[in-house]
Amino acid sequence: MKKCRYEDLIDDYLFNRLSQEKKKEFEEHFFNCPRCFEQIKEKNELISVIKDNADSIFKDMRIIEESKSNARDKILGFLSPKPLISAAVTAALVLIIVFAVIPNIIKGPPDFVVSDDGIRGGSITLISEAIPSEFRWENLGNDIEYKVFIYNDELLWEKNTQENTISLPDEIKTKMVPGKSYFWQVKAFSPEGTLISSSSKVQFTWRENN
Amino acid sequence: MNKNTYDLKEITSKYRPIVTFKVKKSIGSHTPEWEDIVNEIMLNTIEKIKSGEFKGKSSVGTYIYTITRRRIVDYIRRKKRRAHKYIPESDPFPDPHEQIENKERAEMLAKKLEQLKPKYKKILYLYYYKDLSRKEVAQRLGISPRKVSERVHYAQKLLRKLIKK
Repeated sequence: MKKCRYEDLIDDYLFNRLSQEKKKEFEEHFFNCPRCFEQIKEKNELISVIKDNADSIFKDMRIIEESKSNARDKILGFLSPKPLISAAVTAALVLIIVFAVIPNIIKGPPDFVVSDDGIRGGSITLISEAIPSEFRWENLGNDIEYKVFIYNDELLWEKNTQENTISLPDEIKTKMVPGKSYFWQVKAFSPEGTLISSSSKVQFTWRENN
Repeated sequence: MNKNTYDLKEITSKYRPIVTFKVKKSIGSHTPEWEDIVNEIMLNTIEKIKSGEFKGKSSVGTYIYTITRRRIVDYIRRKKRRAHKYIPESDPFPDPHEQIENKERAEMLAKKLEQLKPKYKKILYLYYYKDLSRKEVAQRLGISPRKVSERVHYAQKLLRKLIKK
């Protein structure tokens, strides 16, 4: 069967990487193209299953990553028989961990799109609209602890929750100035307390009444 | 095309899933109102076709898309207004039937994903789990962006086969 020229846009659409205009064009297309819509549904399901079950699906991949770093340890150990050098190696290892491991955990700044779809980005998908009083993001699974942050120039408020939604307490609301810009961000932690994922900071403007 | 010749039943069964997908994507599938909104859009469409307001200048798909977009924008606007008056929202009530069905499908898909070769898992991990772009995945794996697409495509094909078994 001939490939539809819109097919290549499916992933970018699902990850909200299309411009507003392109998105509209693409949506209008799949309302008219059953073939593309079938593929969107399939991919969308695949992505959500991957995101929800990453621990079990990719468990052997972690083993691959671990065995790689063990091999690195061995090479370094072989090169450093003397204690002084081993201190240097330790420092090098720390650097390796800092530069090689941490960037994998903390995602770089994701592209956020503010549109009629609300706000999305990062591997935590923020669902609330641009001017929320209740904040909502995509649930990453059970037993996940989220930390929600509200900033202006500095951290204004932070709160832990296991839900994927949170409301601002009144004492914070009264601190916020209408018309001023604020940012919100969500970080997800595993039950053991390791940072799993972080959304980027998303701007919103506080309006008391419409 | 004659406005009276549309098969309304067929239109409903064809477009309802598409409208549902778009609505859920826009307002979030955890938002309990999505189903009401979809119902409204479908009813509205049928009414407009019946009354002859839809004149067939565009395709039915485009027409329904326009209605859907408008309804979503309207919902988000109204919700903002509501949110500022701090009216508590109703609790989500997920459809248990649909949930079970989806859950079973998802579990099966997850199992099949586990069975994939590391080569394919790796690409799905970077591309769909880490949300990296095609180019970034290509750089990490030292292959061409085109190859990334091909491999993702092939992984999906394999999954389809595994599920059918």
